[in-house]
Amino acid sequence: MLKSATTTSLKQHFARAALLGSALGASMLAGLSATSAQTVTVWSGYPEMAPFYEHVAQGLKAKNPNLNVKVEAIALREHEKRIALGLTSGVAGATVIELQGSTVRRYLENDLLPKAPDAVASFVKDKANFDEFFTSNASYEGAVYGVPLFRGQAALYYNTDMFKAAGLTTPPKTMEEYTQYAEKLTKRGPDGNPTVSGWSLRLTGGGQGIAEKFWINLFQYGGSVLEPTTDGKWRANYANEAGRATLKQYLQNVHVLRTVTPEMPADAEAFERGQTAMFIRESWVIGDIASKAPNLTYATAPLPRGSIALPTNLYVKAEGADSKAAWDFVMATNEPENLTWLLKNVGWLPNRSGVDYSSVTSATPAFGAFVNYPKDYKFFTLPSIGPIEEVLTRLAAQLTNAFRNASLAKDDTAIDAFLKSASDETNQILRREGLLGK
Amino acid sequence: MQHKRWMFALLALLPTLAIFAYVRIYPIGDTLRLSLHKWDILSKNKPFIGFANFEELVGDPLFREALLNTTIIAFGVLLITIPLALVLAALIYHRTRSRLAGFYEAAIFIPHVVSLVPAAMAWKWIFDARLGPLNALLTSAGFAPKSWLFDPVLSVLCVIVLCSWQALGYAVIIYLVGFKSLPTSLYEAAELDGASAPQRFWHLSVPLLKPITLYVSVVTLVSGFNVYAQAFVLASDAQGAPGRQVRVLVLDMLENSFRNYRVGYAASEAVVLLAIVLVLTVIQFRLLREKGRS
Repeated sequence: MLKSATTTSLKQHFARAALLGSALGASMLAGLSATSAQTVTVWSGYPEMAPFYEHVAQGLKAKNPNLNVKVEAIALREHEKRIALGLTSGVAGATVIELQGSTVRRYLENDLLPKAPDAVASFVKDKANFDEFFTSNASYEGAVYGVPLFRGQAALYYNTDMFKAAGLTTPPKTMEEYTQYAEKLTKRGPDGNPTVSGWSLRLTGGGQGIAEKFWINLFQYGGSVLEPTTDGKWRANYANEAGRATLKQYLQNVHVLRTVTPEMPADAEAFERGQTAMFIRESWVIGDIASKAPNLTYATAPLPRGSIALPTNLYVKAEGADSKAAWDFVMATNEPENLTWLLKNVGWLPNRSGVDYSSVTSATPAFGAFVNYPKDYKFFTLPSIGPIEEVLTRLAAQLTNAFRNASLAKDDTAIDAFLKSASDETNQILRREGLLGK
Repeated sequence: MQHKRWMFALLALLPTLAIFAYVRIYPIGDTLRLSLHKWDILSKNKPFIGFANFEELVGDPLFREALLNTTIIAFGVLLITIPLALVLAALIYHRTRSRLAGFYEAAIFIPHVVSLVPAAMAWKWIFDARLGPLNALLTSAGFAPKSWLFDPVLSVLCVIVLCSWQALGYAVIIYLVGFKSLPTSLYEAAELDGASAPQRFWHLSVPLLKPITLYVSVVTLVSGFNVYAQAFVLASDAQGAPGRQVRVLVLDMLENSFRNYRVGYAASEAVVLLAIVLVLTVIQFRLLREKGRS
């Protein structure tokens, strides 16, 4: 009996020991697996890109189950501040950073981002993968630092039901027609005030967006906020006829024809809610409409002369094994399947050539204006110079005041004086930075 | 013995003083130093440029606009908050025995503890030109609707209203503490002499509460000069913004630091702000102390 009791007690003891051992073993294994897990953080300035990076991460899980991808997508202007603070004070772990080619210059000049590994550089330099424009945008002094991903390219979005109701059968083809169309498309209340804007213009808000949108319109008139000079520098180029025509068109629409007012809902949200008949924006709106207003009847059209093409690239801030995981993630974003997913579900235009996007572009006719543009269609991009943000932010502040000034609308001399003053400020910034050309 | 006591007190205070010096004094000193340099936040080079940043500030229209807006907002908030807080605190103190006294205090104080961003979002809706209840009220009363967040003057007024709404609760609570510490014998004597309630308030409470007024006005003015989030949220939007950006000093500093990469220039703006706040605080101390003596 005693023997039996002792045996039972011993058995229980061993069982407990075995259980404890198993638990310890399991926790050690878990610890081991935790130590081998790799985390890559993605900093994005476009919240709508988050699902794309998560999709890429999901795809990588099959190859690397220990990879943990953390996507941190915030508004662009806050993202830019995060990069300025993060890169100078030190970023922990592997971080993939989304940056426009025009903004990255300062960081590269100060060695704050590493060069891409050889294999990545070869991929980017391969003409079969990227047009020279995109390769050079991701490079600095001949070395590749980033991998091109997508670009911001603008086109006209118009509500086909509203066009039909206004008796308009084709999209506007000249800037003069834009104003004429806006007048016909504007819906007004009993007091004569517009309730649906004919053409949504960017008139208010903070940041450089106002100046970028102004530049797109200015480009249609043959102008440019900055132009390169023969000595490799830059100077303002909007205090001229093109600048006057552009600003006058804004002022006419706001103050004379009242096809739009600063108080009216604007941009993609207004378009999706039927609060504006047309507006100019990048391709991501197609994805936004698909998710927020799938029943909206609309079409797109190329702009009269050409468009902005603003490439966004991916850069890496990491060291050692972390660096490899981060670059692997970056390369995975450029896999054809992922790029097609990006175009279909988010709407930003991938930059990689040699990928068949026709399954998406043929299924969504709205992409037509972004890929099937006229042969003589022209593109411009923001110059990769240090003070580009300051130039645009200050111009935006000046433009906001001008848009509110009704007295400018019918006074060409006053418009010219305003443009001269704004242009002097732009040149002053360039002079201070040693970038003002002759 | 005395020496040892001093040494002990000094040693006991040293950790706190060291932390204070590191997180408060050092940044101020470094900001002063940076204001005399050109620095883009990214570069290791910070060339000394003397007072060039300050010279540029004088001719910078955006800085002048920010300075003017900030000054108007700070004094606007001060002018609304102090008298209103004093009157509200007197009314609440007068109703201390009421069952609703706690409710009154809480109702006034809640805006001060509510998170700023959702509060500002709510105000953004109130001020909305098309759908806001404020314009609905104006229209029903026969007035024309206003573009609250777009008009250069009205948008500044909106920021003042929002800041005052937030600052009021704190000022009222501090005044209430002041009211509770006032000697009741003086009020009883005044009542015996036939002084009415408004007279007692004006001739006793207001002068006796001058130290509280000094403290509250300094705090309100300093926080008024530091206005940022209110102006930012009222005009912020991912697309095109529902309002006009009211340019204030802190916003201009942030823009110069992290968008324009001009940290030295932004530091010179911070130095100007520091100087303004210091001068105004000294003036307030002098004015209220001299009046208190007289």
